[in-house]
Amino acid sequence: MNDKNVVLVRNLIKDYGAKNFKTRALKGIDLAVYPNDFIAIMGPSGSGKTTLLNILSTIDKPTLGEVVLDGRDITKVSNKELSKIRRDKIGFIFQDYNLLDTMTLLDNIALPLALNGVSGKECIQRAETVSALFGLGEHLNKYPYQLSGGQKQRGAACRALITGPEILFADEPTGALDSRAGRDLLECLKNINEKKHTAILMVTHDPFCASYAKDVYILSDGLIKCKLSAGESRKEFYDRIIDVQTSMGGDFS
Amino acid sequence: MKMIELAFRNFKSNLKSYFSLIISLAFTIIVFFNFQNMLYSDTFKMLGEKNIGRIHTVVAVVSFVLVCFMFFFIWYSSNVFLNRRKKEIGIYIFMGFPNEKVGRLYMIETVLTGAAALGLGILTGVLTTHLFQMITLALSDIAVDIDFQLALRPVLNTVGVYLVIYLIFTLKGYLNITRSSVLGMLTGAKQNEYVRQNILVLLFKAMLGLGVLGTGFYLAVREGEGGAESQFGIVAAAIFVTAGVYMVFGGAIPFTFQEIARNKRFLYVKRRCLWINNVIFRMKKNYRTYAMVCVLSLCSVTALVAGFAMRERYDNIMKFNSTYTIQVISDRENLDADLKELIKQYTEIDYCSQIPITGLEGSVVKASENVSKYALVAYSDLKNLAADIGKEFPLKEPGEGQVVRVTHMYLLSLMTDREHRKVGIGGRDYEQIEETDISYLGYLQDQVSFYMVNDQEFAGLRTLGQKLHCYSYHIEDARAYQNVKEALYPYMEKIETGGDYIGVVSLDPESNQIYWVKVIFSLCIFVFLVFILAGGSIMFMKLYNDSFEEKERYDIMKKMGVDEETLGKSIADELGAAYGIPFAVMSIASCFSVHTLGMMMNTHLTTIHALSVLTVLAVFLVCYLLSVSVYRKNVGV
Repeated sequence: MNDKNVVLVRNLIKDYGAKNFKTRALKGIDLAVYPNDFIAIMGPSGSGKTTLLNILSTIDKPTLGEVVLDGRDITKVSNKELSKIRRDKIGFIFQDYNLLDTMTLLDNIALPLALNGVSGKECIQRAETVSALFGLGEHLNKYPYQLSGGQKQRGAACRALITGPEILFADEPTGALDSRAGRDLLECLKNINEKKHTAILMVTHDPFCASYAKDVYILSDGLIKCKLSAGESRKEFYDRIIDVQTSMGGDFS
Repeated sequence: MKMIELAFRNFKSNLKSYFSLIISLAFTIIVFFNFQNMLYSDTFKMLGEKNIGRIHTVVAVVSFVLVCFMFFFIWYSSNVFLNRRKKEIGIYIFMGFPNEKVGRLYMIETVLTGAAALGLGILTGVLTTHLFQMITLALSDIAVDIDFQLALRPVLNTVGVYLVIYLIFTLKGYLNITRSSVLGMLTGAKQNEYVRQNILVLLFKAMLGLGVLGTGFYLAVREGEGGAESQFGIVAAAIFVTAGVYMVFGGAIPFTFQEIARNKRFLYVKRRCLWINNVIFRMKKNYRTYAMVCVLSLCSVTALVAGFAMRERYDNIMKFNSTYTIQVISDRENLDADLKELIKQYTEIDYCSQIPITGLEGSVVKASENVSKYALVAYSDLKNLAADIGKEFPLKEPGEGQVVRVTHMYLLSLMTDREHRKVGIGGRDYEQIEETDISYLGYLQDQVSFYMVNDQEFAGLRTLGQKLHCYSYHIEDARAYQNVKEALYPYMEKIETGGDYIGVVSLDPESNQIYWVKVIFSLCIFVFLVFILAGGSIMFMKLYNDSFEEKERYDIMKKMGVDEETLGKSIADELGAAYGIPFAVMSIASCFSVHTLGMMMNTHLTTIHALSVLTVLAVFLVCYLLSVSVYRKNVGV
């Protein structure tokens, strides 16, 4: 494991609501993500999974605590710098794909590079390379409405990865996919994690999806309750996740 | 809850989103009401019956244009309104309301909106009427004292026309809802498919559009039979250009943008990928709006150019006609000294001239112009006259069988080919080699059709008509005009009793007989303002509505980490294209319409044209900046 962490979280607290009616969604999270990590965050509804992801991915700001990304505390940087970090260091995959329906898949994938001022030629080359890894080579000239859910999500993953981010955040990436499309996507993510060493932090309620990760953190009531690490086989890891889920009292949705 | 209560509650809670509709409807009412009020005001009556009679046709045309404008504006805004309400209406139908009932709800809400717009429009119209009349008359340079006037007739006319049009479209909306499916309604406000159009269909449309537009341009500039020479030619050109503009926006422009988007190396430069794709996406839905804005701004530029050209022409005609104050035509050769002596009793003479002419009856001459009196002058005589009064003389001497027409200034003529016409004089055909409207013989040139022939021809043709002499004088003191004119009568009687012929042509320097041209000028300005404001506000409304649909996309881009500065620039680029493309097409198309106008008025309008286009640019620029600001606010950038 590389000593230099990609994300470091210390005593993260997040409150919602007005002054006298505050709800504490996160009650002090400590977490470190290193290159090569593939982390899944699970937990029951309202446990703070999405809040944690939003803060780590710079979409939301914490009430207290420190989030160090690329060596800088993102709670203290300006909006302009935050945009730059978001653009260069982070990749996102959302549950509902969030591809822009006004442009082709190739344009969608190449967009972050083009906006970064990379030459047209290089944009095309890199988009073709990354899309080949996700099996989308034949679909590059199609519009999102012409693609299946799985293709769209793989396209979104390509867009997230084309800038070579240090970490990829994924919010319920298989939530809108059928089991086969979900499996295809997870295989691709696993592949990227292993070959490109991109750290992945994924929020999911699906134990099968979580079993692709190397570590699973179980969040409950705003705190990390336990951490599960992958063992010999994915099947065995999946069973352990189910056991913990059952012991905590039901479905993580 | 009763239907009317629900409708009223909906209207109140949605007032903010109805605001743009109410404002735009009120705008059409203000424009129409102000025009009507001007027609029925005392200001108009003060122009005199003769002047009103002359501009009657123009007033009728402008009224028709304004009714059309109101019709299209209400059509457009009620469509936008219905589309924005479709999702909510769909939910009502989905909840189990019968279509007819929801249709009635929509109708009541629409009537409430219409009534609010009518009230606002008439009230603002009444408040702005004084200002409007002042501006119009100030532009026309007509000195009339204006009182605050409000007659019932313009109010009734405006309300009547508005209600009829508005009810037609309310009923249309009702029928649309009663015949719609739930799915159609729920997805009505969204357009997510078929971003790119079939390239072959687009190519065909592009070729057809450019062909039609080219035909329109050709018809507009063509000199000769069937072109701008006839009214038919001009109407056909207008129809072809309008249809062509629509087709260009439906074919050639989307085709060009799609081809640009295919060139990825060009596309992937900074934010180009964002805004060019957005333009392509919007084009299919918006091309009619862009075309409408283009045609409206084309009409406005043409109206402004026509207005300024008329005004300039008016000044020139006044100058032309006042070359001389008094002109005497007689068959006696030696009147000059007597006439000078007579005039000098009242005022000094600035300059004068005399020239022998041959007066011809209408039956002797066969020419295309419809006049009853013709006259011939000799080349050398006219050249000497020009030297006497200090006018330029660029005409070459006509050869045998050739004539040069010495004509007056036209305000507007459909005759654009002024050379190589045949003129029959005394049974022989002459070729008209040139035409001039330099004022050698002043007002007489306006009353009689003159032809210049070479000296030999003139001598030969002298026997065909009456041998006359024309004595022309420009007096120093214009106020002495009446006295000089009255003193001429006894002198004329004296000569005529001696059996000789004498005639006097004169124009009161303080006459206001072509005052109506000034009113046409102000009407042209009015039409310009209406069209350009309509064009600008239609585009503004369209982009305002689009911004709500775009919010989701901009949220995605923000999540992706695209910074606000880049998004802001992309919006500026996209909206720049939305305003810039219609402006560019209009600028090109207006060259042809102005060229045609220039031919009809026999003048060069380049400077006025450039100024008019720049005025449109300024209006568009203001609308553009407003649009960018509102758009950014609505999408949260």
